Amino acid sequence: MTEKFHAELNDLKTDVADMAHFALAMLRDALESFINQNEGQASTVLERKDHLRETGVRLEEHCYQLIALNQPMAKDMRTIACSLKVISASDRIGRYGKSTAKIVKEISRKPHIANMMSLPLMSEYVISMIEDATTAYDTENIQMLKDFSARDDAIDALRHSIFREAITYMMENPKTITQATYYIIIARYLERCADHACKIAENVCYMETGERVEIK
Amino acid sequence: MSETPIITTKNLNLWYNEKHALMDVNMGIQKNKTTALIGPSGCGKSTLLRCFNRLNDLIGCVKITGDITLDNESIHEGAVDIVMLRKRVGMVFQKPNPFPKSIYDNVAYGPRVHGVRDRKELDVIVEKSLKHAALWDEVKDRLNESALGLSGGQQQRLCIARTLAVEPEVILMDEPCSALDPIATAKIENLIDMLKQEYTVIIVTHNMQQAARVSDFTGFMYLGKLIEYDQTVNIFEHPKEELTEKYITGRFG
Repeated sequence: MTEKFHAELNDLKTDVADMAHFALAMLRDALESFINQNEGQASTVLERKDHLRETGVRLEEHCYQLIALNQPMAKDMRTIACSLKVISASDRIGRYGKSTAKIVKEISRKPHIANMMSLPLMSEYVISMIEDATTAYDTENIQMLKDFSARDDAIDALRHSIFREAITYMMENPKTITQATYYIIIARYLERCADHACKIAENVCYMETGERVEIK
Repeated sequence: MSETPIITTKNLNLWYNEKHALMDVNMGIQKNKTTALIGPSGCGKSTLLRCFNRLNDLIGCVKITGDITLDNESIHEGAVDIVMLRKRVGMVFQKPNPFPKSIYDNVAYGPRVHGVRDRKELDVIVEKSLKHAALWDEVKDRLNESALGLSGGQQQRLCIARTLAVEPEVILMDEPCSALDPIATAKIENLIDMLKQEYTVIIVTHNMQQAARVSDFTGFMYLGKLIEYDQTVNIFEHPKEELTEKYITGRFG
């Protein structure tokens, strides 16, 4: 029976990693559609929302079932606990993708201002953090999470600079207020996504070592 | 594990003839806590448990080196009264083994051996022990009926009451629930939880979930060695030794 359980646990991990990639693709496509002002691409992100939710519910159920039927211990238990966290973090990341796509629908017909400030760079950073956190979960390699604190600091700094820059533009020219406000909102979404990547990273460390770490 | 332990083993080794069954076991059993010993069959956990009240003395081919202390006094020195030792360190076995006597006489047996003759005093001991073993309400109206008429779970609680009647300090339990159904098991587990207020409990179990549920400390044994000994939450959430991890997650062998 334990072999069957361990096979199921492996399948669960693969499925959860797939969900994380699916959510990341939603965010990535939303950001791409923002940068390229591609409303069609934004629509495809919105269409994926239901699938994301259903996958999350199904995988959560699977976790609960594995706990109820097998009473896992030690790393098996930690893997399921971590998987539950990855599921909810991925759900949030995918939904920030959806929210970004909605903004694209609002503003894509107006030209970008200020070269989108640092949003393209911030997007790149955040996506790579989510990618690394997901890969670390999938491959159980915590080495790639070492510099997460510094990376998260960089994200916070970028969010702050976008905020300041947007305020300046708005003060100079009220016509930019709508665009600049949405930029601030997207920067906020990205910062939240980076936070979720950090949460995944913390849980992967717990899964692997049993030790609690805090990424500040 | 900073508190003073009630039982301590020092470099404990045990042989059955040529078979080296316990190897350099060093552990401190904490007072008023429940300690579980887990490990695969033949790893030495029951042998170690039986060392604590010298039950292995009854087996001719056993040789022991090292020492065990109870309250800082060796239990192996010549002056130790083995009957007194077994009064202080009581035991409950895998299969309930009530005497073919009445419920009352089962519980009163130990106190009588230790010289209590007064009926009123015995009545008090029997009632108190049965209450402690969470059996009183079920048997108070039929104390003179045969203990063999009780269910398996009740018989096991009767054996616990019999152990409690002589007021031990430590209670050893060797797979006390393995012959019981889940409801009787739950009752024994609740009982263990209550008992630790007044007694120190050491339990050998094959059921890891049970060890996780009832114990404060857990020792994992393998091939006669104590591989890891720590607080139960640590053992089951993040054991330090790979062998422990493999055993408790079923990846053994």
